This record gives sequence, structure tokens and C-alpha cells, in this order.
Amino acid sequence: MSELERALDLLGQELDVPEAPDLVLAVRERLEPRGGRVRERRRLVLAVAVAALAVLGATLAIPEARSAFLRVLHVGGERIEIVDELPEIAAADLESTLGDRVTLDEARARSDFGLRELDAAPDRVYVGEHGTVWFLYGSPESVRLLVAQTPLLSVDEPALRKKVADGGTRVEGVRVNGARGLFLSGDSHFLFLVDERGNAVEASARLAEDVLIWDEGGVAYRIEGDLTLNEALGVAEELREG
Amino acid sequence: MYQGIAFRTAFLLTGSAADAEDAAQVGFVKAWSALPRFRPGAPFRPWLLRIVANEAHNRRRTSGRRAALQLRATAARPPDDAAPSPEGAALGRENRAELLRAVERLDDRDRDVLACRYFLELSEEETAEVLGVRRGTVKSRTARALERLRSEMEVRT
Repeated sequence: MSELERALDLLGQELDVPEAPDLVLAVRERLEPRGGRVRERRRLVLAVAVAALAVLGATLAIPEARSAFLRVLHVGGERIEIVDELPEIAAADLESTLGDRVTLDEARARSDFGLRELDAAPDRVYVGEHGTVWFLYGSPESVRLLVAQTPLLSVDEPALRKKVADGGTRVEGVRVNGARGLFLSGDSHFLFLVDERGNAVEASARLAEDVLIWDEGGVAYRIEGDLTLNEALGVAEELREG
Repeated sequence: MYQGIAFRTAFLLTGSAADAEDAAQVGFVKAWSALPRFRPGAPFRPWLLRIVANEAHNRRRTSGRRAALQLRATAARPPDDAAPSPEGAALGRENRAELLRAVERLDDRDRDVLACRYFLELSEEETAEVLGVRRGTVKSRTARALERLRSEMEVRT
């Protein structure tokens, strides 16, 4: 092997390749519509090819899909389903989905992770499901910016929130502070909370704005508002441990 | 078992995590549909990776561009290396960054064969299966790609 080949070998070990996401659920759901017609042999080989990916039983239980999945993505503790048709449900008001309203000091005391803050103090602070701390800038009726931080228990943790968007939503893969993230923009999308059994809570559904989502250091972050990608990345950069 | 290598393959070919995830998902689904055509006894991994690589190529073509690969922020030191001085470490890192930039300047065909052989550590046979070419083609294409890479490096030094 030449020196150049050895250098390429070493380079391959040093490339910044993101951790492989859990593909099992997404693959299963893309396959499920055909499930009733599969033959036994194919089912057996699937067990080798796909079930070997991970443990199927431990993954999130999803309610019946109302429309066809076009794409499923996972990032920042969220499961993002791009579907051909949004569900017809009444959106809840924002504040009821965020949790208990607290002071910033209370939020700092209640969070057991390195809570990050922006230079400007939020207008309202909430602590909600899964220990999520929400910073709201503006008012619930007129949100300028919404920042959420959720501690992740493990990399294999089922989704904390579920987002359903239609094909008009643009999804861009981005790097945020070196971590893998997604920026969703364009058509509105529903955001659900997920219960302890992994089911989306329909009553919690609300329409969400453009959003930047990523996880970093065991914490899932989301920055939501009427922002361009660059503006959202700017907010992400400004977000620092207080 | 295979999702790590499938995702890595797609990522190295597209440079995009979102595209790689999508390509890997669709690759598995297509592999499932194509299982009746899978030749019993043939190695499964390269067969699967070829399907994933095709999906990755499709996304690369659709987007019309491929994001450049990056080095990890703190790259591992080779195990047999003595601890380098700070200057040595910086120089080593700069050399690797320069090598990566040179790889990125290669055309897709050269870059893909090098990615398969050195970044994915696939054998010649596996690379041939993944790229859909003969083993002899992998040999000659790798040799040519290495030669062009040497030239790229020399031009910049």
C-alpha cells in the first residue's frame, strides 16, 4: 500500500460522518401497506435484512396513518412525517401545549442539563413534557420566536414530539454547531406531543412555523418562528449556557 | 446490522445527512421489493449497498451538487503515532484537510471509487458490486484516481 493510500485510509477514519439514524421504523412504515401481500420467504429474509437493523418492539408505537407517508425523518427528539395530506384536526392554542408557566430562575432550577439562553431574556418561560424548557419571545397570540430545549435520556429514546407536514414543506439538512439538524420551512405543519406509550396526543396538535431542529450533547433543540435558515442558525449560535 | 454502513455509504456519496437518511430508507425498501431477485448464496452487503448507492446517486443528480465532506473537529490520532507536538498535530491536520480538498476536486467517478475503497473500506469485489462495474474496472479506475489525486496534491504544493 502506498503512502497516499495509507493517508486515504486514515482520512476515512477522520471524516465527520453523522451517526446513522434509526431506520427501522421508517422502513417498516414504508413497507407496511404491502404487509398483507408478502410471501413467507420474503418475510423471513426481511427479518434478516431489516429486523437486524435494531429491535422493532422497542420503537415508537404510531397510530394508524391517515394518509400515505412520503418520507420519515428523525432528529432532535422529533419524528417528522411528510405525508401527502395533513390530518383534519382542530389546532390547540399554543400556550396549552407548552406546559407550566414559570420564571426564568425556576426553569434554570428545574432543568438538570446546561440550559442555554439568548442574550435577551424571554417574555415567557414554560416547563413542559419531558422536562422541555420553552422560551417564548412575543406573546402567545403573536409569537416572534419560540425556543425549546429537551434533555434526551438516550440516543435510542423514542420520539418526544411528532411533526406531520405535507409535501409542500421544504426539508433541508443542516449542520448546527457541528451537529446534524433539519430546517423545515414553507407550508405549516402540525406538531404533536407524544404520550408515554409513544402515541401522538391529538389534543396537543398545534400548527407550527418554520423550525430548526437539532440535538447536541444529549439535548434536543428547536428554534421556531418566522425565520430564514440563516436567521435560525444565527439564533442557534447565540444560544449559550447561562 | 446494515443501517450504519448503508447510511455511511449514502452520506459519503451525497455529503448530506438528510439525503443519506432518505437514500438509505428507500434503499432498504427497494431491497425488500427486490429480494426475489437476490441470488441465494451471494453476499448480501454489497448487493444492498449497491441499491443504496443508486439512490444516493439519484439524489446527488437531482440536487445537482454534492456537499463537501468535512473532517471531524477532533480527529483521532493514528494508534501507532507518537504524541505529536502542537505544531505537528496542526500540520498533520492541515495535510489531511488538504488531501480531503483534493479528493473533493476529483470528478464523481474517481471520487466514488476512492470513497468505496478507502473511506468505506470495501474490497475490490464489493466496490465492483456497489458501483455496478467489473472488478478489473475498479482496479484501473482506482489506479487512475490515485494518479489524479497525486497530481492534484502536487499542483497545490
